[in-house]
Amino acid sequence: MTKGKSAALPIAYVVLRILIVLNWFYGAAILALVAFTFVNEPWFMRAIDIPTGTDPRPIMMGLRAIAALGILAVPLNHLILTRLLRIVETVGRGDPFVVVNAYRLNAIAWALLVLQLLSMLIGAIGKSIASKEFPLHLDAGFSVNGWLAVILTFVLARVFAEGTLMREDLEGTV
Amino acid sequence: MAIVVKLDELLHNRRMTLTELAEKIDITLANLSILKTGKARAIRFSTLEAICDVLGCQPGDLLEYRGG
Repeated sequence: MTKGKSAALPIAYVVLRILIVLNWFYGAAILALVAFTFVNEPWFMRAIDIPTGTDPRPIMMGLRAIAALGILAVPLNHLILTRLLRIVETVGRGDPFVVVNAYRLNAIAWALLVLQLLSMLIGAIGKSIASKEFPLHLDAGFSVNGWLAVILTFVLARVFAEGTLMREDLEGTV
Repeated sequence: MAIVVKLDELLHNRRMTLTELAEKIDITLANLSILKTGKARAIRFSTLEAICDVLGCQPGDLLEYRGG
């Protein structure tokens, strides 16, 4: 890989900035949806096609809980995206091996871990309210790849911390 | 720091400046200054060898351990 020729960095920078904005829109949209379920519950139940003869209360409660957990993910996503943006900025400045990036990666790892737990919780709620009459397919639940990403990020954070210490030692060597 | 670098003393005894030593052992003056002021974290064997060679001393003459 040659330095200065890769387009990955500017692309990552722009994409991350867009994702930061989209994340807040996503949060606002879910919030609006939850608010709407309280404002006009019958319309919402018709819209999601709750079959007649089924008790809508557990389904509505479950969906609201899923939405609330979805809103909780917004600040976590923001934390991940902004930390990643700061890391990309340090790469752009040509000095990514700084101790603050190790802390940033560690924070990202913790946020990813909480997101995985939220995803499992959402998956469980989805399963509990789904039935033959009301099938609900959510892209949530236990994910091997998700947990691998958590472990990988924790390991990377540690590698960064060690690498920074090694660099400091090397810089102090005469 | 418990390890004291006695480069100043050695240079004074040999009537040599830090700049002259830096030129002779091919190390930047800035790095040699770091070593002289005791701010270095480590010293390479190659640097130690070059200093001892130019100043005609032993590593023990350059470094001293002061415990406590």
